[in-house]
Amino acid sequence: MKLECKIEELKNKISQVERITGKNLTLPVLSSILLIASDKSLKLRSTNLSLGIEVEIPAKVEKEGIVAISGSVLGGIFSNVIQNENIFLESVDGNLLVTAKKSKIKLKGQPHDDFPTIPRVEGVSFEMDSKKLIEGIKSVYYSASVSDIKPETSSVFIYTNEENLVFVSTDSFRLAEKKIKIKNLPEISGILIPFKNIPEIMRIFGDFNGILKVCFNKNQISFSSDNLYLTSRIIDGVFPDYRQIIPKNPGTNAVVLKQDLLNALKISNIFSNKFNQVNLKISPQEKVFELSSANNDVGENKTHLDASLTGDNIELGFNYKYFLDCFPSITTDSMSIKFSLASGPIVVSPVNDPSFTYLIMPMNR
Amino acid sequence: MNIKQLWKNCLVEIEAGMSKANFSTWFKNTSIVREDVGIIYIGVPNEFVRDWLINKYHKLITKTIADAYENMRAVEYIIIKIENNKEEEMLPTTNEPYVNKELPLKDLYINPDDNLNPRYHFNSFIVGSFNELAYAAAQAIIENPGTKYNPFFIYGPTGLGKTHLIQAVGNGIKEKHPNKKVHYMTLEKFATDFINSLQNNKANSFKEKYRKYDLLIIDDIQFIGKMEKIQEELFHTFNTFHENNKQIIFSSDKHPNYIPELADRLKTRFSAGMIVDISPPEYEPRLAILKVKLREFNIELDQEILEYIASTIDGSIRELEGSLNTIVCQYRLRNKPLTLAEVKNLLKNNMRPKKNIAIKDVVKMVSEYYKLEEESVYEKTRKKEIVKARQVVMYLLREDFNVSYPLIGQKLGGKDHTTVIHSCLKIKNDLKDDPQLLQELEQIRIMFK
Repeated sequence: MKLECKIEELKNKISQVERITGKNLTLPVLSSILLIASDKSLKLRSTNLSLGIEVEIPAKVEKEGIVAISGSVLGGIFSNVIQNENIFLESVDGNLLVTAKKSKIKLKGQPHDDFPTIPRVEGVSFEMDSKKLIEGIKSVYYSASVSDIKPETSSVFIYTNEENLVFVSTDSFRLAEKKIKIKNLPEISGILIPFKNIPEIMRIFGDFNGILKVCFNKNQISFSSDNLYLTSRIIDGVFPDYRQIIPKNPGTNAVVLKQDLLNALKISNIFSNKFNQVNLKISPQEKVFELSSANNDVGENKTHLDASLTGDNIELGFNYKYFLDCFPSITTDSMSIKFSLASGPIVVSPVNDPSFTYLIMPMNR
Repeated sequence: MNIKQLWKNCLVEIEAGMSKANFSTWFKNTSIVREDVGIIYIGVPNEFVRDWLINKYHKLITKTIADAYENMRAVEYIIIKIENNKEEEMLPTTNEPYVNKELPLKDLYINPDDNLNPRYHFNSFIVGSFNELAYAAAQAIIENPGTKYNPFFIYGPTGLGKTHLIQAVGNGIKEKHPNKKVHYMTLEKFATDFINSLQNNKANSFKEKYRKYDLLIIDDIQFIGKMEKIQEELFHTFNTFHENNKQIIFSSDKHPNYIPELADRLKTRFSAGMIVDISPPEYEPRLAILKVKLREFNIELDQEILEYIASTIDGSIRELEGSLNTIVCQYRLRNKPLTLAEVKNLLKNNMRPKKNIAIKDVVKMVSEYYKLEEESVYEKTRKKEIVKARQVVMYLLREDFNVSYPLIGQKLGGKDHTTVIHSCLKIKNDLKDDPQLLQELEQIRIMFK
């Protein structure tokens, strides 16, 4: 293999691909990035057997070939190179020679015969804006369960409902749902993307602008654009039917300013006990919306907020962390909080925006 | 050939032909799912593996299987779900909040420092004549930990609230004396901690760890029987606590004298403090317990239904709770009050089935156990060993299977029913001071299960 390409381009792509190399795996070759020179491009490929990625960089290829080089080494080199110029890559006896204007590097290669292929997903496909994908995932993924015990909830669940692509995550203490309108959607009954793969997907498409082609079948989902192909395993399982627990007729409604509540919660946090408990008392007749928390070691506090309230009196406790988590996903200035029973879930949503719903289970004491 | 075995054999062969790393990456979690007229379906965990097996190892796999299984025509790969999670029987998570609202958050409340569950409190503890002594002693301990009844040893059959009581003592002491360090654990935890510390050569830190507490509660101590080293360690821990007037509490399902293979020095030490037993609750406390539980559920049931439950479920409190849970669950599901008839129907399964057994079988089992001729039990003889076996048979028939005295007498060689009554009483009395006999009976009972 012998080729010339832009250093800036290579640097970006390597940092993308490098994160997906397999770590702590029994097969050492998985920790490397496979460089494939063919036609007019250089392809970089890596996988950890749960995610797989392949990116393409335009390059002047003199001689085709393949080498596998440790991902962390490549990442280390290119994160420190800042010259903006062209770079020459050449493989010699399975090793890689990197030549720039002022430096010469020889990297030890690994036998690339054992490097796995990346599954090409065939099945139903549709197109969507990458911004929308990231928005959907970002709005819900923090609610997913981090434990592996139940893979169904340790994931982001995606399905279609009318014209919406719906993203859902839950860890059984809280649940986040985001609906995003997308045209020409095929019907999707449910895809479970493993939670562990979510940060990588967000990182790769976070600064990408454009249309993605999404393709999925029973076992695998892929996201691809002109020069990028990312595929993830899908969890085989059934996401719990969460729609039935969203309370239909809330007994108490409250609307508060997001910033007010955020400040109040942050103060309550200082006084919360080790279960992060914050108590909430609402009395529409007396126009009281009060947050309180107490800690034997620190002290206690009570904060009243201006709020528009209707319905019955209610008093309950909740874990403030669960509440704080949803703030970035609330885009409006004021938010609506609904309660059904003191022991039922709290429903949080932006005012006049039905696309986002967040449920929090209260604490019983 | 069994397909499991077939794949095992093939894997052995495949493993020999490649590096360990390759093998464990690609062949771990694979299996033959089924065989269908010569087509072997190999289950693989994901698409990465499937692609790779097809591209790289297909020939090898085909050949290996073909060598071992001549009917093979083709090999196909399918992706299967790896069954590593046994918890799937659990309800879907989001259902939980409705069926049992406390479930999702319950774990949060167990304090990692002392392992106590705040749910176990005296507020929710029902006192009746069956446990009032234990309750009074527990209250005394909360007042003056370490001085009055040390050690406090509580025993009784499973599911009667031993754990509740001892945890409530822990919680009570925490409230009353906030600076006292309380620690609750099961014997099993104690044992594993000890073994771990031995493995890591940290026996000293183990000693330190437990001796820093002011109150130690050890649950289910009856399992200590066979663990000699643990007994020794417990003995030393115990002494330290006792010397420093720190309270120590044990629970067990047997009186210490009947814990098999318990070292005498521990037995006497357990006896030095207070030994209390908890017996199964009578009708009134059962009713009271039901009412308290219902209040927790925030549900009301008819008095007559409660009375019915209390009178039919006469086993442990745990069974009582279980039955009530069933009813409450149904109640929530239907969202309307249940009738007595429905409750009866629901509880049918919760009641202990009355065991039916042929008298002959009991005789056979017992004579087998005592290594006697089956016939000899029926004979009119007063040989000591035979008389004992016969009495055990009568006792078991009466106690466990509810056979009437006259019928027992009749079946066992035409004895008078008074003879049978005498026999049962004799065994009952002997049981009180003969641990050997107790063990024998237990072993025989196990044979019936």
